[in-house]
Amino acid sequence: MNPRVVITVCALAVLAVALRVVAQTPERPPIIAGCPTENLAWHTCALQKARSFSPPRTPSGKPDFQGYWRSRLTQSFSVEGVAEDHPFVKDPAQRWDVGASEIVEPPDRKIPYQPAAARIGREGTNFREYVDPRTTCSTAGVPRLALQDPSQILQPPTDDHVLWLHEDHHQFRVIAMDQRPPVGREVTTWNGLSRGRWDGNVLVIDTANFNGYTWIDDSGNFYTNNARVTERLTMVDPNTIHYEATIEDPTVYTRPWKVAWALIRDTTPGGYELFEEACREGDRDLPIVRDLGFKFYFGSPWR
Amino acid sequence: MRHGFPGSILIAVLVSVSAATAAAQTSAIPRAPDGRPNLQGIWQVLVPAAWEIQDHSPRLGVPGGQGVVEGNDLPYQPWALKRKQENLANRATADPESKGYLPGVPRIMYMPFPFQIFQTPTHLAMTFEYAQGVRLVYTNGTPHPKGPIQWWLGDSRGKWDGDTLVVDVVHFTDQTWLDRAGNFHSEALHLVERYTMTGPDHINYEATIEDSKVFTRPWKMSMVLYRRKEANIRLLDYVPGLLMEEEIGERERRKTN
Repeated sequence: MNPRVVITVCALAVLAVALRVVAQTPERPPIIAGCPTENLAWHTCALQKARSFSPPRTPSGKPDFQGYWRSRLTQSFSVEGVAEDHPFVKDPAQRWDVGASEIVEPPDRKIPYQPAAARIGREGTNFREYVDPRTTCSTAGVPRLALQDPSQILQPPTDDHVLWLHEDHHQFRVIAMDQRPPVGREVTTWNGLSRGRWDGNVLVIDTANFNGYTWIDDSGNFYTNNARVTERLTMVDPNTIHYEATIEDPTVYTRPWKVAWALIRDTTPGGYELFEEACREGDRDLPIVRDLGFKFYFGSPWR
Repeated sequence: MRHGFPGSILIAVLVSVSAATAAAQTSAIPRAPDGRPNLQGIWQVLVPAAWEIQDHSPRLGVPGGQGVVEGNDLPYQPWALKRKQENLANRATADPESKGYLPGVPRIMYMPFPFQIFQTPTHLAMTFEYAQGVRLVYTNGTPHPKGPIQWWLGDSRGKWDGDTLVVDVVHFTDQTWLDRAGNFHSEALHLVERYTMTGPDHINYEATIEDSKVFTRPWKMSMVLYRRKEANIRLLDYVPGLLMEEEIGERERRKTN
């Protein structure tokens, strides 16, 4: 049995116990916030639209991003997209969904890997030999967390922090908004250390201090502990955020590159609350994947 | 005649001013824009309750400590006292901490790692360096969701009693312990926590533990949370389960290369 199917089946079993249905590839309606939903077209259109939108504000006058959010224009398999003729689409053992590239820069919509790194990512060494770190109950990392559903943003009225909570493996990101200096680069963490600022109505998040132990998608696309990610969150209408992340890593890429997708407000009638998604505590699929010979990642192929 | 104040009077004035300032600084507590005490910041206990919540002498690798339990005695039911002693004997493998699991509440509050509090008028979030734990305390007047639910860190609903935040926590598992000495609870645990700022850098933390399956009566623990004041202090991550796997991964890497 193919290991990826084992992962899926077990993940479903675990989630069934957790009383919640696993998030499959989110639907892609033809229009979101009045813009067509191919990622690059949406990226251009949504940013244009945001220019004439005045977002809701906190009592202190900052754009108010608080609420529950779900991603759209995303699929988990590859940020480079999954073409209709990709062998895993028709393979009943894999069942990948067709989806557009989430990359909006560079123009070829591919990760600008250096040659050696391209053999590790993009269904390369990582995919063939290593357990997807997320399967070990680690964080999905940045920006992969931003496509896990649902998430919640809190903005304390003291304006010194933004807190981004993700139900997925109870992850959180502390975004310091108080102009503090960066932390020494030898201090590394799974989600990186984030410093934020307001650029007009845009929440800009600058993150470094990654350990490089996370992947960007199911295909094993990756960055190292030398990476820096700059995210920009822009409200397009009261229920839609334009999310983009620029990823730089001179160790493995030839230039910075950028993904973009939508975050849609969860408007469940009667309100919504995050569940506790304990993962390791209920984890049953990792031993199966390990028995099939997949190694622990921890950046091994590039370290 | 010399100008100005005689020296002795000047010194007396300065001393009394600085004494008054110091008193004001220790008694004033920070407030959020809504007037509530502002509990935000990075906090950590100093008391060694993670090892044992009751009075205990030092052992190698274990700092001695005065317990955090009111009256020191734990009112175990007879079967539960036996189970506690078994836990203690088997703690190396039986303690959920040894598996890298979320340590439960209140244990996560006194693990020897910092945690950070964020506060809005409707939510109070606690994010923990240890195991990436998150507690969301709803202060928007909503009730606990209907059970049965078993969460490792429970479900927390808070309300303000004057300047004290009172948090009611239910929906636990029976899989978490109270310390490394085998003290434990069941899924019937009901916790009432009281968070009271006693100054700008101190929170008095008190928890009443009620568990009719394990104890004969409710009991209390209390301790002080200290503000971490180092310049540019940030919450990092210490995820024990992943650190255990990193060691295995490192062995695999050396074998491959």
